[in-house]
Amino acid sequence: MSAVQQRGSLTQIELAGVTGLSPATVSNIVKELTSAGVLHTSPSTRSGRRALQVTLARNLGLVAGVHFGTRSLRVALADASMQVLADQRMPLAPDHRADTGLRRAALLVAEMVESLDARPEELLAVGVGVPAPVDVRSGRIATVGMLRGWDGVAVTDVLAEELGTPVTVDNDANLGALAETRFGAAAGHDAVAYLRVSHGVGGGLVLGGRLVHGRAGVAGEIGHVTIDENGPICRCGNRGCLETFVGAPVLLGMLASSHGHLTLRDVIARAQEGDAGCRRVLFDAGQHLGVAAANLCNLVDPEIVVVGGQLAEAGEILLGPMRTVVEQRTVPSTAGPVEVVASRLGAAAEVRGALAVALDTAGVSGSLGVTV
Amino acid sequence: MTGAPPEDPPGPVPAAAVHALRGVSKNFGGVRALVDVDLDVHDHEVLAVVGDNGAGKSTLAGVIAGAYRPDAGRLLLDGAPVVLGSPGEARTRGIAAVFQDLALCDNLDVVENLFLGHESTRGALLDEVTMERQAWELLGQLGATVPSVRQPVRTLSGGQRQVVAVARALLGSPRVVVFDEPTASLGIRQTAEVLNLVERLRERGHAVVLISHQATDLQAVADRFVVLRLGRVGGEFDARAVGYEDLLAAMTGAALPTDRKSSR
Ligand SMILES: [Zn+2]
Repeated sequence: MSAVQQRGSLTQIELAGVTGLSPATVSNIVKELTSAGVLHTSPSTRSGRRALQVTLARNLGLVAGVHFGTRSLRVALADASMQVLADQRMPLAPDHRADTGLRRAALLVAEMVESLDARPEELLAVGVGVPAPVDVRSGRIATVGMLRGWDGVAVTDVLAEELGTPVTVDNDANLGALAETRFGAAAGHDAVAYLRVSHGVGGGLVLGGRLVHGRAGVAGEIGHVTIDENGPICRCGNRGCLETFVGAPVLLGMLASSHGHLTLRDVIARAQEGDAGCRRVLFDAGQHLGVAAANLCNLVDPEIVVVGGQLAEAGEILLGPMRTVVEQRTVPSTAGPVEVVASRLGAAAEVRGALAVALDTAGVSGSLGVTV
Repeated sequence: MTGAPPEDPPGPVPAAAVHALRGVSKNFGGVRALVDVDLDVHDHEVLAVVGDNGAGKSTLAGVIAGAYRPDAGRLLLDGAPVVLGSPGEARTRGIAAVFQDLALCDNLDVVENLFLGHESTRGALLDEVTMERQAWELLGQLGATVPSVRQPVRTLSGGQRQVVAVARALLGSPRVVVFDEPTASLGIRQTAEVLNLVERLRERGHAVVLISHQATDLQAVADRFVVLRLGRVGGEFDARAVGYEDLLAAMTGAALPTDRKSSR
C-alpha cells in the first residue's frame, strides 16, 4: 500500500521489486485489495511486455497541495494515486500576510474541489509549503523575520479550521526535496540534497527516504550558510549569507543600472539569448551556489544535488559553474564527483511535495480506509 | 477645447512614458470627476489605480481609453500631444480597454466575438480557418483554458469570458491595455486567472493600467500605485514598498503622503 501510495502508480513487477515480495504474493495482495476497492489495476505495456499498472482507487478521495511562494500561491488537487486533477496559480502581493494568504488558499481549495464535482468531505488532507522554516510538530512558522507577516503563525490550525481537514505544513524547499526524491530527478537516490533558488534560497535534505527537519525545522537552510564573513547583512540578521549573493533582489539589483527593471525570468531569457551581463550574473551565482553546495556535500556526501526554483531554468549557464566549484571544493572520492542536476519537476516540485505529504497524512489518519 | 492639440509645449515626460496625462480635468454636469490629474503609463509595467467609489477611477479609465474627452489638460502619446475622439480612435493608436460590462455577444461563439468589428478595420475579410487559428493562438498566449472556440460565450465562466474580452482587446497588438474592475464579481479561481493574465501581459511588454477598489488583487500584480481621492491624485507609490495601510490612508485622506515615493 505504502509503496503504491508513495509512487502514485507502478506495475505489479515493479511493486515486487520495491517491496521485496515474490511476484505471486504481490499478485495475490493486489487482487485482494482491488476487490476491496482500495487499489485499481489497468493493463499497460512496459518494455514491450504486458504488465498490470497498479494505482490507488479514485473513489478514495482527494488531497490538496498548497505552495506559498514569495510572490505567488499555487494549489493543486490530486486523487489517492497522486494523479493531479486541478492546478491553479495565483499572484500574491509583496510581503503578503498570513491571514490574507491563508484565506485565499482556503477559498481556492474549496472552489477547486467544487469544480471537480466533489463534495467538501471528499477532501482528506491538505499539505502546505511555506518559504520559511517550519516546526512540523506544531505546524508553526519557526523563525522571526524570514517571512514578514507570517512570524509564529500556526498555519496548520488556521487552515484546518477553515477547511475542516487535517493539514500538514513544511518548509517549501523540504517539500521540493521530497517530491524530487519520490517522483523527480533524484528518484532512486539516497541521500538527496535539494537547493531551491528563486526569490530566496532554500534547501532540503532527504536521508533514507525521510526529510531531515532538525530540532525546530531550520535544517537545510542553505540560503543562510556564510559565504563571506564580512559580507552584507542578511534578512535573517546574519552576515554574508548565500542569499545575499544569489537571492533574486540581489541579482536584479546588480543589473538595475545597466539593464533597468528586469524580472528573474527576463534575466534568464536574456542570458539564453547571449546577453553578456545577464550571463555573468548567472555564472557568478552558480559559483556562489557551488561554494555552499560543496560545504554541504562535505558534511552529508549525498548521491545527488538537485537544483530547483526559478533560477534552475537557466540550465547549464548556472549549473556549469556550480558543478565546477562543487568538484573543486569537495573531498575527492573514488566514487567520482557528486551529480549536480536541474530539478525535473520544475516549478511544480513544491506543490507536488505538498500533495505527497497530504497523502501521507491521509494514510496515517486512516482517511484512506487503510493504515499504511 | 476643440480637436486641435493645445499650443503650449508638452511638459517634461520621461522618455519611457507611452501614454501620459497632464493636468487633466473632467466634469459631469457640475460634478468634478477628475481634477488636474497627471499620470504616466510605461511599457512593461502594471500601473494600479485605486480609490473609493466616486474617486474618479472609471472616468480616468475612460479618458485614457478615449471614451471621455477631457475638459482641460493634455494627453501625450510617446510625448506627442493627441486627442482621442473615441475608443475606436484610441484603439488604432494602440490603446485597448477591457471594461466592466464585458460587451461580449452572448449568442455568438468565441471566434465571432473576437473578430466582431475587426473585419472592417482590416479592410479584408479573414477566412474562417485563419480566424479560428488566430483565436487559438491568442488564447494560448494568454494561457486560457477555453474548451472550444466554437462555443457560445454565454456557456463560459466569468473568468473565461474575461479572457475572451482581453483577447479581443489584444487583436492588433496594443501597447496599452486598460482594465476597469476586472475582478469585481468574480470567484477566487477566476480572479486568479485574471491576475495571471495581467502578469503575462506585462511579461509580453504591454503597459497595463489596472483600475479597481480591490487592493489585495492590485497589490498582487502592481508595479506602481496611483491613489485617486475625490478626483485628484492623492499619492503615488512604488508597489514593492507600499503597505495596505498606506494605500488606505491615501484613499481616505487620513494622512496624505508628503513624499511621493515614485519608482522611476
Ligand atoms: Zn541569512
